[in-house]
Parts: sequence; structure tokens; C-alpha cells
Amino acid sequence: MKMKLNLTRVLVLTFGAALGLSGGIPLAKRVVSVWADAKSSSIQINFDNAKPREVEDSTQQSIMRDYSAAWKGLSNALSKNVTGPLNENFTGFALDKLTQRVKDQQQNGISTRIIDRGHKVEALFYAPDGSSIELRDTATIETQVLDGSTVLHSDQAQVHYYAVMTGAEDRWKVRILENTQ
Amino acid sequence: MRKIAFFIALTIVACWFAADRARAAELRIPQNATAGQPLSIGTSGSGEGTLYLIGPGEVIKQKIQLGQNIEIKPEQLRHAGRWVAVVRGGSNPQSQAFWVNPGPAENLSFLARPSRVPVAKQGVISGVAFVFDKNQNLVLQPTPVNFSLTVGGSGASQSATSSNGVAWVRSSSANKAGAAQFVASVGGNSVRRVVQQVASDPCNLRMHVAQRKQDQVVLETDPIRDCTGNPVPDGTIVTFIETDKTGRSVVDARIKKGIARAELPASDNANVTIAAGVVLGNELHLGGGK
Repeated sequence: MKMKLNLTRVLVLTFGAALGLSGGIPLAKRVVSVWADAKSSSIQINFDNAKPREVEDSTQQSIMRDYSAAWKGLSNALSKNVTGPLNENFTGFALDKLTQRVKDQQQNGISTRIIDRGHKVEALFYAPDGSSIELRDTATIETQVLDGSTVLHSDQAQVHYYAVMTGAEDRWKVRILENTQ
Repeated sequence: MRKIAFFIALTIVACWFAADRARAAELRIPQNATAGQPLSIGTSGSGEGTLYLIGPGEVIKQKIQLGQNIEIKPEQLRHAGRWVAVVRGGSNPQSQAFWVNPGPAENLSFLARPSRVPVAKQGVISGVAFVFDKNQNLVLQPTPVNFSLTVGGSGASQSATSSNGVAWVRSSSANKAGAAQFVASVGGNSVRRVVQQVASDPCNLRMHVAQRKQDQVVLETDPIRDCTGNPVPDGTIVTFIETDKTGRSVVDARIKKGIARAELPASDNANVTIAAGVVLGNELHLGGGK
């Protein structure tokens, strides 16, 4: 009788452990993968072909810093449905557009998670007076759209973005951000 | 036997019904959607469902009847870029990404620099125009943009074709001072900026003795103009420097009504020079009762 009870306990424990592992391992793998992606996501900008004017070294550094910050801000804004990170990094049409997106998401209980897997960016145009710069970004992005906690859509795609940045009070801000095929 | 046949038929019907419900929401989306144009999305299945449209600048969520076409209004599809359509019926959500292209070029965002510029300078004015459709989507198709710079009824125009949504020109300032109208236009729409063209550096800066007093001498310039004949604006600083054995006397005088005046100490042997910015004028020798 006692042996039978022990056997039952072992079986229940084994079943429980198997259940825990089956759920826990994929979850752990996912967490590690997201962490690794976040760590490995990078922005490389090639300024060599910018026309009609060469981009100064200090401007290159500022653009690199501020364009990276803009993507982090965009990701935060869309996942948490807050507009603060947009105001810090975007202006003009891009700010209007993304603010509307966040408001619509809030209204409909939707959020968007962006897993950024890296950007290869080329500077195309740098205004003769140095007031604006246009970038073409080939971004590899995984996007998850959630309604509450339900994943509605998930995909990974390479998307081309055209971004125009203009000088603002203490940084460069994204004025136009448009993706294309 | 009959009972078994009935049971099998019932099972088949139930499975068919379940399968029909399960595949409820397939999507048919045209691949040539344009921003600001209506769009029709086809769905399959039956019953009620929810459509989500997630675009670059908006999110739409609405109840739909599966199996019917869903008409998206032009004002709901304003932004070009990558959209995702999701239909949620009785089973797992079905989704599809699709692209919306910008409409034809209709608007411009025009940056003209600088806002104030000296006359007769080569390539000193730059105009940069970003080309948009009516919903402020950047139009990447090459589009001709006309630029014209006129002051006092005369001027020049030039055309540039946009590349990656940007067209730009560099222009020289005219010989005549005044408020120049710098206009960029695409299609029927134009955007105007004003570039104030001001006289350049003085040309042939000359002074003479206007008046002698007991212990002072009053010097005055001829009307100060730039090399194309535009009067140098009032308020521009002109510097008079008198040098004699006791040292230097410097007077910064502003141009007033086109002329600068300065009172300097009388001296029996002094040299006076005049300058405005980087331009030097004539030199006078004072002394010997002259």
C-alpha cells in the first residue's frame, strides 16, 4: 500500500516536472532570444554618399546618436502606448503621424512590440545649409501586434525606411519617417 | 445500420461546420493600394468577426460580417507604407501585410536659407523642397519641382527633379536689394518664402572734411553704396581712425540717411583712415591749417 502511494507521488512529481519544463524551456529560450536581439540590434550609417555636401564628423556622431534614440523612443511609445518618447525624438509630420497611431492603439486596446534586429542606413542627402539630412534605412524588424495580451499578428520583415532629420533645439529630430517596399 | 449511417452523416456535418468556422477568415487585399483612395478587402467565412487595420499612422478596429467585402474609406487610409490587416473570427486570427503607396505629388515642404543675404553673391541661397502627396506622404517618384527667385519684378527660375523625395537648388542673389520672393511649386501648388536681399559691402568708401571747428574737425562720407549701387543700410557701422603723435582716436559711427559722420579732435599733423567691415576707404591728412 505504502509502495503504491510512493509510486503515485513519483508519477505526479514527474508529470509536474515535465509540465513545468515543457512550458519553462520555450519561455526561457524566448527571453534569451529577445535579450540577445535587443543587445545585438545595431544601427550602422554610411555617410560617404551624402550629397551635395559632406557630413561633418560631429554631425555624423549626432545623427547616429539621435537616430538610434528615435528608434528606441518609437519602440517604447508603441509598446507602452505613451507619447513622451515620441515628443523627445520626432517632430513635424512624423510626430503627428506616430502620435495618432499611439492614440488609436490606446483607444482600441492594442499595442505593438518591435523587436529591432538591426539597421543598415545610408545618408542620401545633406542640405547645402546643413539644416536637414535624408537617410535610407534597411531595417530588419520583428513586429508583434497584440490586442490586450493576445498576439494578433507576428512577422519579421526587412523594411526600407526613408527618414528626414532636421536640427532642433539640442538634437536632431526625425521629421519624416516613411516605409516603402 | 440506419443508426450508424445517421451517426456518420451527423459527424460529417459537424466536422464540415467546425472546419468552416475554423477557416473563417481568409483575406483578399489588392496589392496596389494608394493612400487617400478607397480600398476593398475581401473576407471569407461566415458569422461575425473583427477587422484590425494597423497602419503607420493609424489603427482601425471594426466589427465585420465575414464573407463580405469590407470597404475602407479614403480618409481611413491616409498614410503610405506597410499595413497589417488582421481578421479575428471564431478561430485563430488571420493576418496579412500589404503596402499602400503614396498618391500623386501635390504638396511641398520648402526650406529656403538664409533669410537675409547680400546682393550679387554667387550660389549663396539654397532652396530644399520635400515633395508630398495630399496626405503628407513623401513621394519617392522623381517629380519636377520649379523654383523661382524674383525681386522687384525681375528674377530667374530653374527646375529640379526630386530624387528620393527631395529637390534642391542653389541660387545667386540678384544685384538689386529688396525682399526676394523665393517660390517652389509642384503641380498646381506653390510655397513662397521671402529672402531679404540687402546691400553688400560698401564700394568706393570715401570721406571728406565737412566742417572745421576750433578744436574739432567734422568728417563726413559720400553716400555709401555697394558695388552694384544699392545704398548700404542705415545703422551699418563705419569706423574713423585718426592717428597723430599723441596716439589714436577711434570713432564708430552709424550710417544715417546713407552717410556716416564723425567729429575728431583737431590736430596739426594727423592721418585719418576710414573702414566699414573689411572694406577700407580713402585716407586724409589733417594739419598745417589745411
